[in-house]
Amino acid sequence: MNSTQTQPAPRGRYVPPRFRLAAHESILGIILVVVLIALGFLTDRFLTVDNLLNQARLMAEVSLLALPMTYVIITGGIDLSVGSMVGLSAILLGYSWHNWGFPLGLSIVFALAVGTLAGFANGWFITRIRVPPLIMTIATMALYRGFAEGISQAHSVRGYPDWFYIVGQGDALGVPTQLWIVLVAIIVFAVVLKRTVYGRALYAMGFNEIATRFSGLSVDRIKLLAYTASGLMSGLAAFIFVSRVSTTRSDMGMGMELDAIAAVVLGGTSIFGGTGSIGGTVLGLVLIQLLKNGLALTGVKGDATIMVIGSVLILSIVITNFAQRERYADR
Amino acid sequence: MKLALTALALATTLAVGNAWAAGRWDGADDLAVNPLPCGNEAAPAPAAMAYDGGMATNAPDKVGKPITLVDVPKLIGIGYFNATSKGIHDAAAELGNVKVTTDGPTEAKIDEQVKFIDNYLTRGVDGVLFASNDPVAIAPELRKALSRGIHVVGYDANAEPNAREWFVNQAQFNGIAKAMIDSLVKEVGADKSFGIVTSTFTTPNQARWIAEMSAYAAKCYPKLKWLETVEAQEDNILSFNQASTLINKYGDQLSGLFGMTSVATPASAEAVTQAKQCGKIAVIGLATPNAMKPYVKADCVKSVVLWNPVDLGYAATYVMRAIVDGKLKPGATSVEAGKLGKLQVINGSEVLLGAPFIYTKDNINNFDF
Amino acid sequence: MSAALASAVPVWRRRRLQVSQEWLLLLGIVALVIVVGLVNPRFLALRNLQTILLGNAYIAVAAIGMSMVIISGNIDISIGSLIGVLATVSGSLAVAGVPLGLSWLIPILLGVVAMSIMGAFVAYLNIPAIVVTLGMMSVLKGGLISVTNGVWISNLPPGFLLAQEKVFGVVPMPVFLMVVLTVAAAWWMRNTSAGRSMYAVGGNVEAARLCGYHRQRTLMMIFAVHGLFAGVAAVLFATQLSVIQSSVPANLEMTIITASVVGGVSILGGTGTVIGSTLAAILIAAIANSLVFVNISPFWLRAVQGTLILVTVLADILRRRRRAKAR
Repeated sequence: MNSTQTQPAPRGRYVPPRFRLAAHESILGIILVVVLIALGFLTDRFLTVDNLLNQARLMAEVSLLALPMTYVIITGGIDLSVGSMVGLSAILLGYSWHNWGFPLGLSIVFALAVGTLAGFANGWFITRIRVPPLIMTIATMALYRGFAEGISQAHSVRGYPDWFYIVGQGDALGVPTQLWIVLVAIIVFAVVLKRTVYGRALYAMGFNEIATRFSGLSVDRIKLLAYTASGLMSGLAAFIFVSRVSTTRSDMGMGMELDAIAAVVLGGTSIFGGTGSIGGTVLGLVLIQLLKNGLALTGVKGDATIMVIGSVLILSIVITNFAQRERYADR
Repeated sequence: MKLALTALALATTLAVGNAWAAGRWDGADDLAVNPLPCGNEAAPAPAAMAYDGGMATNAPDKVGKPITLVDVPKLIGIGYFNATSKGIHDAAAELGNVKVTTDGPTEAKIDEQVKFIDNYLTRGVDGVLFASNDPVAIAPELRKALSRGIHVVGYDANAEPNAREWFVNQAQFNGIAKAMIDSLVKEVGADKSFGIVTSTFTTPNQARWIAEMSAYAAKCYPKLKWLETVEAQEDNILSFNQASTLINKYGDQLSGLFGMTSVATPASAEAVTQAKQCGKIAVIGLATPNAMKPYVKADCVKSVVLWNPVDLGYAATYVMRAIVDGKLKPGATSVEAGKLGKLQVINGSEVLLGAPFIYTKDNINNFDF
Repeated sequence: MSAALASAVPVWRRRRLQVSQEWLLLLGIVALVIVVGLVNPRFLALRNLQTILLGNAYIAVAAIGMSMVIISGNIDISIGSLIGVLATVSGSLAVAGVPLGLSWLIPILLGVVAMSIMGAFVAYLNIPAIVVTLGMMSVLKGGLISVTNGVWISNLPPGFLLAQEKVFGVVPMPVFLMVVLTVAAAWWMRNTSAGRSMYAVGGNVEAARLCGYHRQRTLMMIFAVHGLFAGVAAVLFATQLSVIQSSVPANLEMTIITASVVGGVSILGGTGTVIGSTLAAILIAAIANSLVFVNISPFWLRAVQGTLILVTVLADILRRRRRAKAR
């Protein structure tokens, strides 16, 4: 989606992106704190270390997907195929180990490679053939899922050795193992976004791709890298998922793309591109997960919970938009 | 040039796809099939097995005391699990000292189901009743429950044996297969052809039933031809479209349709009705009575469903109460289940609901679920 | 980026581009019918063609509204949930004894209202459409289950099933509605100022504003019209079978969006027609049906479908690039 689309022409004093986003993140942070306090008040099982660490474990996969999704959306694109890439990588992890006799370590690497390749294919078509990202990823969403179903022939692969489960079900230094992986990923993605030329280029591209192209930056290569990263993270998420549930299924990851996108836009990344941050995405992820968990702990049932999440998503954006409106004071 | 490349990719996929088409789908879990004897021969009594269920560690003593349970079915919002939930709540009301909440995902996804169970574990419950979307994927979460002293009883769809204490089984897989195939043969004859409409190929129960059905049919009715299986998720209109497509494709060749889920069967019946093939194509399968009443009344469908899901849920609650009260221990051979009487224990840690229940024109109006 | 290129191409030339995609789709349908018909003649039976068209007419109708939304540069992910809710409303009204005409009309009106509310968020509060509709999708889905508990609606009164009605004694009502609405919408979008404003707003908002198109009012209108089509689609959905599954059909929004984009509606906004999206909906339904007839292994069905979607989309892209270069 292009930033010259339905974004309204700004009137009044212009505010540079970084400032605007900081306001969004602060507001989101306030909302998060309010939610935490309210839920902590309503149930005493919520604000315990055990529960919070457990939630971190359960949201690891979506978190990994949301990180490169932030990059992709900042460039003005979108990736709807991440869920299917998770499914495909998961199936091939099991298949290569069970049917082709790979050593399990090699299978894990293979699954990561498959995810990376799938993301690369997305990026290649988007940059070389100029297929709009929405269209490309809708097609690959079906295609990769189809490959997963076809290759697996509806068989699951189970019975992994004990060490395999450490990543998904075990702890390291008292903290769920996958949380360490997620934390490292968050740091890497955040640093790259804020402190490298690559990160700056992402913002530039989202804001005005043609100008960026003329500035000499290789727009194609930057985009390609973002979509490939999306694929790699999908492979990693697949590994963690399989390790957590101890089996492979071809329907793994279905719906994760919308969870990731919701977290990213909640975090302040504009769907039109040009603004966004990893910090915001992390806040979005945490808010959604803790809301789901906290509401369930207070006795709200599943159907009402998703209604609340949907409303919170809309309301949060309304509030942050409204707060930022003040910036355009002189109309 | 690029168009040529993509056309090539397409051709390759089709070729690959067709190469694989040769393999008949057979139920996707590599387990052995065990077809029952044909006709009216009694099945050999199953050998007694040692108890293979899990154990709740350090479960608090709640003999006779009130307990709180959570019921997490595969998904909520379909008639079948509305029925099991009704049975569970009926039993809880009857017992008087059981409080149950039914909660679950809106889609049959294992990841969502695990999260639901997890939240209730954190909330603190005395027992978990479940119908799993995947027997292996749910196991780590259930073992976590057991390790916290929470009792775990499954119904309808099993988990790995050591992840739950007991499983209430509606019927043996091979028993269901026998009943389904026998019903079809009774209605249309032993040398006809049939199709199957199922949810997805990866749904464990359905996959096992179909595998057993094909084994039983091959053993007892070799002339019975299995044409094709189509997937239709849990979507009514998709099931209808798929069933219609089967009817269109095979025409007179098709004599029967099996619906493997409570969504697929009414949709198949609808497809047969709208294609004006009532009486020419038999529709047999699992469904709730309310969904099938119009078709049974119109004589389009002769017999429906193979067990009573309300009784299934009812039994599950009673089994859970019996465990908590110490009345059901590993090694037991039967358990008391309220109005259902004594239920047998089979396969080490499974409680058998009983004989299949067939709904026909005569009795279907007595049920409202 | 391409929006800039696209708006640089003169309108008459652009219309040629659009027509090409529709001819391509029509060609695709005809080719598919012939090829599969040769492999398995039963595919061509009237009953089967009816299954394809009748069972998917509601997708085509929903895709009309979705195309309008996409052309204007937005997207709607809540359409599946909305159709589920409106279908349940329609069935519930009919079962409660409300006259048939009202049972069909009220959901359509509710569709307009619901979409207009979402449109207000997009137009006046400047919330991106993807966010509003993503949120509403959850709200509607949860709300539907909360209210109905998943109980299916049966005992529908006779005459409720529109799918059984035939126009001129031959054409099933849903197919008739699909064709009429598509043609009417296409005419409206090409020949009226209000219709063309969608393209303008989608193509270049500033230019549109300078031409006198009021962005906010246009967006409201687009969403309201989209709601109208969503309502009609929901009624068609509800009136097909003797029972209504009162839950949200899985993945319906993706199917509808796919129909729109395969139909040539450019996600960059500004180009595409609803004739393309209807033809695409028919093509996709025909592909799904035909794959059963040619005995493709059921496990590879989705892969083949995905490949065909990709091929169709690539063909469209390549065609556009060749035209743009030839200019």
